Amino acid sequence: MQLAVNIVVLAAIYALISCGYVLIYRVSRVLNLAHGELMLVGAYLLYSTASLLGGNPLTAVAMAAVLGLLVGVLVYVLLMRRMTGEMVLAAVLCTIALGVMLRGATVLIWSAQVRHPMEALGWSNPSLVLFGDARISLISAILIGATAVVYAALFGFLGFTRWGIRMRAAGQNPLLASQRGIQLHGVYALAWGLSTFTAGLAGMLISLDSSLDGTMTMIGLKAFPAALVGGLDSLAGALIGSAIIAIAEVLLIQFVNPLLSDVVPFFVLLAVLVIRPWGLFGSKEELDRV
Amino acid sequence: MPKKYALVVAALSAIALAPGVMAQDAYVVGLSGALTGPQAGTYAPVMESFKLYVDQLNRRGGVNGKPVRLVVQDNQGEPSKAAADAKKLISQDNAIFILNASVSSTYAPMAAEAKRGRVPLLYSVVCPVAVFPPNPDEFQFCSAAGSANYDSEMAVRYIKELSRNPVRLGLAAMAIPVSRGGIDHAEEVAKSFGITVVDKQIIPPPTPDYTPYASKLKSAEPDWVYSWAPWVTQVKTLEALRKLGWNGKFLAYAVPPTEDEVIRLKDGEMHAVSGNAFFNDNLPLHKEIRDAAGKANLTYPVTQLSEGWIAGMVLEQALKNTSWPPTAEKVLAAMNDLSVDTKGLRGGPIEWTKTNHFRTKQYYRFYRWDSAKQTIVPAKEGWTMVEIK
Repeated sequence: MQLAVNIVVLAAIYALISCGYVLIYRVSRVLNLAHGELMLVGAYLLYSTASLLGGNPLTAVAMAAVLGLLVGVLVYVLLMRRMTGEMVLAAVLCTIALGVMLRGATVLIWSAQVRHPMEALGWSNPSLVLFGDARISLISAILIGATAVVYAALFGFLGFTRWGIRMRAAGQNPLLASQRGIQLHGVYALAWGLSTFTAGLAGMLISLDSSLDGTMTMIGLKAFPAALVGGLDSLAGALIGSAIIAIAEVLLIQFVNPLLSDVVPFFVLLAVLVIRPWGLFGSKEELDRV
Repeated sequence: MPKKYALVVAALSAIALAPGVMAQDAYVVGLSGALTGPQAGTYAPVMESFKLYVDQLNRRGGVNGKPVRLVVQDNQGEPSKAAADAKKLISQDNAIFILNASVSSTYAPMAAEAKRGRVPLLYSVVCPVAVFPPNPDEFQFCSAAGSANYDSEMAVRYIKELSRNPVRLGLAAMAIPVSRGGIDHAEEVAKSFGITVVDKQIIPPPTPDYTPYASKLKSAEPDWVYSWAPWVTQVKTLEALRKLGWNGKFLAYAVPPTEDEVIRLKDGEMHAVSGNAFFNDNLPLHKEIRDAAGKANLTYPVTQLSEGWIAGMVLEQALKNTSWPPTAEKVLAAMNDLSVDTKGLRGGPIEWTKTNHFRTKQYYRFYRWDSAKQTIVPAKEGWTMVEIK
């Protein structure tokens, strides 16, 4: 039972992170390699709002989430907007530079000390006992719930709302979408905002469950294979890719060798790319276009 | 050349030559460390306190009446940057002594540059095997308390001493060479003491959730878990074990953040083995460091400043024994015959000879959280000494 709980928690972490990669890629064909750093910024924003508004933890969390969204919009408006019409490779390189800059900026602003947003909020993280004596921390349980809500909201948003349909249209054919009167910059800014919001949410929940330090950027990169395995333009693929990677990782830790957990996401990725280069649920045409 | 142009050329020449002139008037010391990067939390406090020590030293009039000029480089924990830093510090800045405050993967490239430039290199966070007797590397020295094998041997001995019944020991390391080496050594020592090692988890650094590793560890039912690793791995393993309902004893190796973390965790079953005295001991030198840190408005907590301060004491003593004008060769000679009084920060002095760039005696102190008193207390009175052979 504990094994199943561990798999679900890890899959939820990867799924929450990888949906941000998918959102931006699906809309603008850009691989955002600063996603881990944006997670880190989201977590630090929570630490700051928690330190400022320790007496009102819910306000602090809400404010950090909104600020995370704003950071994403600002990244687009101030930086990525200038990449519109340029080669995709230039935009990807731009995100690498953004990541380096954000890593330096977080150390300058918050230092490299290990931080504990949970304490700043005045909350605790008790362990919940489930069936079969399995246990899960409260924050891990919230993370699973948050991932479910985020995916349900994204599916609903992309499938049934006007802005969601515009986003899909911009992703499928930006020129035609633009000619039909869709404001591409607005759509792209929204995609960056939502992606950074989900990254920030993942960063906040991970830091609440354990602590906050610079290694979080590497966690962001670890979720990248999950998005690729599922197919970079498929939200459902990100969900299933995360589950596959999490199952492989947890089973190897338990039954083979914990060291293999570091390489197995990339091994699964290679295996999938050999068989289906566009990912399990991705579209073949997307790969051709890239 | 018209007179006004001659004056301009002279002025420009003076400006261009200024660093060189300054270098001749000061002991030039280089530092390359992980000021930023994922592991900076462990190394940046060491750099900050070393810089603080040098500032204090210069305020007191420097060494032998000459100031110490410190050149700081950020290698972000990357070996290629560390190598470039060492090259620059030696060839451009003319440093006569360089300090490494970074991850173990930066050791080899910096050591190679130090050897090429024939400049002494001091490690201030973890000691590599290259400094141990009887054949240490000519240019490498270590003032850090941490040395994975000696620490692990002492940790296992401590667990054995505290346990009346047969011990079931779990081990946890980060998947980096120095941590794995220490934990592998702990496993060997434990077996020689008749302790059963029930599980050993080598955990990769970028791990989003430590619970799967802790689950495996817990399922082996250890009475004790010992970890020698960067703090992130030690504390996250302990917290994951506690979330899973494990109530055994945890022995951590103390690194800069440990003292504050013991206070935060308030875990009565957590013990720490340390090569440095905790600030909780309130020694006169602790007060001096607190005062200096308070005035300097530092970024990191005072409890994390011991290692950098001790590296500063070593530097001061080495430069005192170096006649003017200083050269790397003279500093090297001074470091090969050095004794530094650590004034209680360690259990005894740091002593180096040509055949020993580590120390002749290593001292350990043990601490734990006392739930009744709600404070850190010594888990064992005084220092425990180990002869280094």
